[in-house]
Amino acid sequence: MIAEELITDKGVSAGDEWITVPAPRLREAMAALKEDGYRLLVFLTCVDHLADASKEWPARFELLYEVRDMEKLRDLRVRAFVDGEPPEIDSVHDLFPPANWDERETYDLFGVVFSGHPELTRILMPDDWVGYPLRRDYPVGGEPVEFSEEHETWLTPPPEA
Amino acid sequence: MGLEDLVDSLGQNVLTTTVGKVIGWGRGNSVWPAQFGLACCAIEMISTATAGVDIARFGSEAMRASPRQADLMIVSGRVSQKMAPILRTIYDQMPEPKWVISMGACASTGGVFNNYALLQGVDKVVPVDVYIPGCPPRPEDLLNALMILQERIKAQGIVTR
Amino acid sequence: MSIEDASGQGVTITQTGERGAFGGELLTVNFGPHHPSTHGVLRLIVDLDGEQVKRVKPVIGYLHTGIEKQMEALRWQQGVVCTDRHDYLSPPINNLAYALAVERLMGVEVPPRAQALRVIMCELTRLSSHLVWLGTSGIELGAMSVLMYCFRERDTIMDMNEEISGFRMHTSYIRPGGVMADATPRFFDMLAKFVREMPRHIDEYEDLLTMNPIWRSRTIGIGRLAPEVAKVVGASGPMIRGSGIAWDLRKVMPYSGYENYDFEVATNDGCDCYARYLVRIQEMREAVKILGQALDRLPDGPVNVDDRKMLPPPREELETSMEAVIHHFKLFTEGYSVPPGDVYVAVESGRGENGCYIVSDGTHKPRRVKFRSASFVNLQALERMALNHMIADLVAIIGTADTVLGDVDR
Repeated sequence: MIAEELITDKGVSAGDEWITVPAPRLREAMAALKEDGYRLLVFLTCVDHLADASKEWPARFELLYEVRDMEKLRDLRVRAFVDGEPPEIDSVHDLFPPANWDERETYDLFGVVFSGHPELTRILMPDDWVGYPLRRDYPVGGEPVEFSEEHETWLTPPPEA
Repeated sequence: MGLEDLVDSLGQNVLTTTVGKVIGWGRGNSVWPAQFGLACCAIEMISTATAGVDIARFGSEAMRASPRQADLMIVSGRVSQKMAPILRTIYDQMPEPKWVISMGACASTGGVFNNYALLQGVDKVVPVDVYIPGCPPRPEDLLNALMILQERIKAQGIVTR
Repeated sequence: MSIEDASGQGVTITQTGERGAFGGELLTVNFGPHHPSTHGVLRLIVDLDGEQVKRVKPVIGYLHTGIEKQMEALRWQQGVVCTDRHDYLSPPINNLAYALAVERLMGVEVPPRAQALRVIMCELTRLSSHLVWLGTSGIELGAMSVLMYCFRERDTIMDMNEEISGFRMHTSYIRPGGVMADATPRFFDMLAKFVREMPRHIDEYEDLLTMNPIWRSRTIGIGRLAPEVAKVVGASGPMIRGSGIAWDLRKVMPYSGYENYDFEVATNDGCDCYARYLVRIQEMREAVKILGQALDRLPDGPVNVDDRKMLPPPREELETSMEAVIHHFKLFTEGYSVPPGDVYVAVESGRGENGCYIVSDGTHKPRRVKFRSASFVNLQALERMALNHMIADLVAIIGTADTVLGDVDR
């Protein structure tokens, strides 16, 4: 069972159960969940909450780990909030093998550093790419489209970023 | 035997033409595409080669696995920034004379993906002879493009570029 | 390699002078991204000891399309076109994952007829996806003629797609709030004919391959993936079912009314490439069964939710109702906004669990869309499957893993 003091917040979002754990103790929480039967990591990703007015966010980057218990058929979403430049969190690739590429992808697209990862390199973008494309302050890029509403903002980051 | 006798003996069996026209006719009817599938359009390209549409009617069923044996590159699908240098290398490996068909909206203009990851049009790295609209184009569209290209090749004659 | 060490991804490239079992030097071979196999732009760095594969390091990203970023720049209803194109062999299934996610956040439920039409489209797509897989895998292993048979039936399915949505491959038929439009009577005629004839065609493919000695010797015992490993590496779809585990999201976590259909989960205990082939063939038969049932008990009624804030009003109302015009105008200039929150919806595609995770910040554009793609996860098991096999078998293993690179790289 995951210890009570590891859960700082919990709830249900559109039918999905979730808990929040403190980022420095993520590995501990994930190991406990694995003991608890959640043996499969479905996916791992990050959300950039830069200039997100929908709610008070504890930090800019929210890391999400969707774990699944294949026997009892239940899913649980684990959230951890990190800040800083670069944002840093422990790797869970040895607990959950599918995390290996997911962590590389999150590093590639968000610049989140997973300490303890054996090969934290870019996976989708070219090796010499500069910047982390899925951050909100990274422009969508491409070419400007005439007569479109995004014509002005397409190439430049949003003003609040 | 004089020249007149020779001509008489041939009867109606002689056509006069230019070397350029013969070469153009030969080249145009045996365009060998490189087997180079990228994304969605590659599936429709395979579809073009199967019995229903049958690209063999136009002498282009021989999809070559090696670019050294091919003289047509069908860029079938979106070209990412990571793929662009490789695409150019393959183009450079093809022997002259060579032609390029840009198949589909993504290869021609970037399609619906106007963003950081994609090359906005393959014509930024290789010269394109025929563009095909559609996302993905129908197999018949590819055949039409091939026929347009064949007419061009036939008109080009002996000239290489 | 122990099971717990299943990642096997922390491979290092061969050091110069490293010796193999036969005393020779290990040879590093680059396989791709442009290669004679027809499985897209996948690049593998393979270490060979003689002809034996000792290490495989997949290098991906050659088809990275930036779909997730693109969808953040598009409105909720515009994002559907991007979902079509990430796993380009099963567009309606991706549509469904996205549509279900948006609907769960909005708290709407689509009418029964829309659910049945969605199931019909998904099963047709599963068939066409498996047909493309079967044909191209056949080519890779030297069975050229299978492709001609498979694509004949695939074209029939494409014709049906065209009839129902007007487009061959990327139908965008399933949308948040329902489907694009009701199906035409001609579509149902075509579908009934297809359901009648398809089992015979599947027998044809089996005649060509199942007992074919070349096909069997190229696939039996190749690419073993033990059940416990398959679970640990997170494999899904025919990969895990070919290892004897009856894990099918349509059964274990039903969505879109799949619990109302009577079908078997195809499994096989062989754990090898041949088992995965048999599983897919069986799945095609089951898909035809589901199609028949869906056609028989298709409910009547509307195909879209009756919510003017989410879907445009019918065309005829625009001429009589001012309110309808306002709704129409708002939807097509600003779009609808989705309540804040996040949701993950998983559906079973031809390759396994294709999920869609969306985060809304309450505006008319998504804050984040993430696709959990089956191929991306299944590809990580490649090294464990290919270890100590011949290099020629690598093609069979990639083939039966059925990775779609658009799905891997997104």
